[in-house]
Amino acid sequence: MNATEQIVAKARELLESGTVECVIGYERATDGVNARPLFVYQAEEAGKLIFDQTCAHNLAKYLLNRKGKATAIVAKPCDVRAVNLLINEHQVERDKVLIIGVVCPGMVETKWGRVSEKLRQACELCREHTPVVYDFLVGEPGDEEAAVEYPDVARMEALSIEERRAFWEEQFSRCIRCYACRQACPGCYCSECFAERLDPLWVGIRIAPSESWIWNTMRAFHLAGRCIGCNQCERVCPMNIPLSLLNRKLEKETLELFGYRAGVDAETPAPFATFRKDEKLEVGE
Amino acid sequence: MSDYISRADLLSWLEKVSQSRDLVAPVKIEDLTLFQKVERVEDIVFDPGNTDLSPKEFFFPKSEVLFYVDRSDGRVELVPAEVEQETVIFGIRPCDAKGIAVLDLPYLEEPADALYRQHREKTTLVGLSCVSACPECFCTSMGTTPDDASNVDIMLTEVEEGFIVQVVTEKGKALLPEGLLSSKEVSPPAAPSVASVPSEGIAEKMHQVFDSPYWDRLADRCLHCNVCSYVCPTCYCFDVRDLRSGGRVERVRSWESCQSPGFTKIAGGYDPRAAKGPRLRQRFAHKLLYFVEKFGVTHCVGCGRCVRSCPVNIDIREVIQDVQGLGVKSEA
Amino acid sequence: MKRDNPLLPYLATLDEVVDLTPDVKLFRIELNDPEVRESFDYQPGQFVFVSAFGTGESPFGLTSVGYRKGPLEVAVRRVGTVTGSLHDLEPGAIVGVRGPFGNHFPLDEFKGKDLFIIGGGIGFAPLRPVITSILDHREDYGELTILNGARTPSDLVFAPEFDSWAAAPRTKLELTVDAGDESWTGRVALIPRVVAELGFSPENAIAVICGPPIMIHFTLIELKKLGFADSQIVTTLEGKMKCGLGKCARCNVGEKYICRDGPVFTMEQISQLIEQF
Repeated sequence: MNATEQIVAKARELLESGTVECVIGYERATDGVNARPLFVYQAEEAGKLIFDQTCAHNLAKYLLNRKGKATAIVAKPCDVRAVNLLINEHQVERDKVLIIGVVCPGMVETKWGRVSEKLRQACELCREHTPVVYDFLVGEPGDEEAAVEYPDVARMEALSIEERRAFWEEQFSRCIRCYACRQACPGCYCSECFAERLDPLWVGIRIAPSESWIWNTMRAFHLAGRCIGCNQCERVCPMNIPLSLLNRKLEKETLELFGYRAGVDAETPAPFATFRKDEKLEVGE
Repeated sequence: MSDYISRADLLSWLEKVSQSRDLVAPVKIEDLTLFQKVERVEDIVFDPGNTDLSPKEFFFPKSEVLFYVDRSDGRVELVPAEVEQETVIFGIRPCDAKGIAVLDLPYLEEPADALYRQHREKTTLVGLSCVSACPECFCTSMGTTPDDASNVDIMLTEVEEGFIVQVVTEKGKALLPEGLLSSKEVSPPAAPSVASVPSEGIAEKMHQVFDSPYWDRLADRCLHCNVCSYVCPTCYCFDVRDLRSGGRVERVRSWESCQSPGFTKIAGGYDPRAAKGPRLRQRFAHKLLYFVEKFGVTHCVGCGRCVRSCPVNIDIREVIQDVQGLGVKSEA
Repeated sequence: MKRDNPLLPYLATLDEVVDLTPDVKLFRIELNDPEVRESFDYQPGQFVFVSAFGTGESPFGLTSVGYRKGPLEVAVRRVGTVTGSLHDLEPGAIVGVRGPFGNHFPLDEFKGKDLFIIGGGIGFAPLRPVITSILDHREDYGELTILNGARTPSDLVFAPEFDSWAAAPRTKLELTVDAGDESWTGRVALIPRVVAELGFSPENAIAVICGPPIMIHFTLIELKKLGFADSQIVTTLEGKMKCGLGKCARCNVGEKYICRDGPVFTMEQISQLIEQF
């Protein structure tokens, strides 16, 4: 059975047995070539489910709308790390989530109505093809365990501060503050985001470079040590802002300083959620 | 015989236009095509297809100052913003031009929005008819056509080596210098065939299916970002706040979306439209029902931008199709 | 100039600020331009946007009556940033006023009828000009019962006027609180219960209610038990709004805009709205 057939069969079984109320997976989008999220409540509808290299959405975000309800989720390795993040941060209960993990071949670059064969940059850099945790696995687990690398971040670090500032000024000038990045991000679930907070006011309502700068950098810092690298923010950005460069820079720093990567398990406390007296960072000294 | 201008003459005319006015046209910014103030006319993109953002921002900017508070000399005065700059928007497609005509309905309705009216008065629209249709477009189902010249001041249609020119309004006529156009024996290409959606009677159907569980199911996958509203040529919701900028107080208006959290939340915390289903339904009910009831036209021009840009493929064409089918099914 | 720009406020001066409750202040506002002041006419139920420059503006129901030609009055509870900034202002401060907006209570239709005016908390504020109008033209209306409820005795708004209301001819004033204190000897009950206990007759009568959504919800149930038809119940809807002109598209409930088609609706009109708030 291929991945799609395995997912369909599993979803059908889970719904028929009443193990879960809903299976969140993917179906074909209206352009005929891309995928879109699908919520399956009836076993008869499980046949719509698909899985291929266009299934780039991180469905873990939707678990936040189904708190306390038994839900199965089709999850790639990065999506599984998002599930772990949400469990770790007490947003989702492990026993309410049934993870249909998928061994991931990497997702490809797509546009509306067009699918390329080129891997997405995040997928090209990704070294995790088997989910770190699952209840049911689709595909054969590999045993690769290569070191995480940050060639994209290294290229940015090679630039001078002035060059980096100019680069981001240019990028942020396009931001329309549509908040697609936030809305797609599994780590962005504050009931009131600082961007909407009026008292105190963190960032004004203007859709302008200065506010966009504050918005994008503050969001990145709120995800420091929490971003699981699914790159949804960049995927959904209608203005093609390379947000992964911000997130991956902070991911790299967190890894170097604390040896921590978010979502690898659901138990290890996040570095910025803990304080240890013996912790001594060799920064700013 | 048609009025005609060669491509070379067109570009040199646009060059002249850009010396006395802001010339706005589609240009490439990295992988995006956006309406922007043109620095060099050679940068203008003539390719078929819609820009990533609509040109509505030149009438209803993403953010604009409504007035500022002048506190000099120990007294307080409110100084309203005024639009001074004359602008020419070149290369606007018939759907986007129709979008501006649709924006006129709420904004020019009395009491008219002062800044919008000024932007409108100071701007001349030079349209470019569509000789090919994009797969996500459905303009002919939304009251316009690929060659609709009724909402622009001048309409161009691309033919070999140049363009057929239709001067539609006095404002358009005033923009064109004498003797710029020649007469040529050339006929416009046949208008492309545009995919249709079953929009007939959609307001009535929206009314019937308003309380259908369909909206909750559709909203399951909606992320409630503002992409659809912000790429849309007709969405016009806004937010207003005061801002302290450079030592003075400005009242600023910015784009806002009915999908954003807190859009309907009143001070004190009560939010009558907090649930996902009603929130998403609001967008379609406004476009396909309320606006139709109030102004007689859909609040959608079929440009296809939201279809293309939605991160989770909430496709208004499919919604219209589904709604038309639901009316029947919900009886069962 | 200003007539051309409906988003540009009139400048006005805070004449007087009165503490109504621990978190509600009454602002008396005088429009600066004498011409504007003279032509600024309004009816009970209409609202204005008041600007605290530097923060923004918010809509408030006018609690004064237009025919008295006095300063504009609004009662403001400190709940957010604009109301917070207004509360911080001292008399003499310059504010902005836009309006008046919206429809008004159909006082002409109230004439000759018995009236039951029910308000909860700050929701009582827009009812005050209705009461003022009735008492100023007492002979035009039937029996008047005023029910003012709040969380605690100190939260009852317009307390200084209670004596004159109670003393007015053919007028009863009923006060109730959710929780009393040492000095409170009055009623301790939720508004819907008081409505049931008072057993108001629906015959040739109108009930006007205003308050938080939960209070309106349960009060409606009691009024219906008493036999009130939807057409005999008048209320106001509250919605987030930014313009007052039907343009910012925030306050729509179904096809109606609260700012332009409301804020005053009969329950009959509300029940016909496609969207339920």
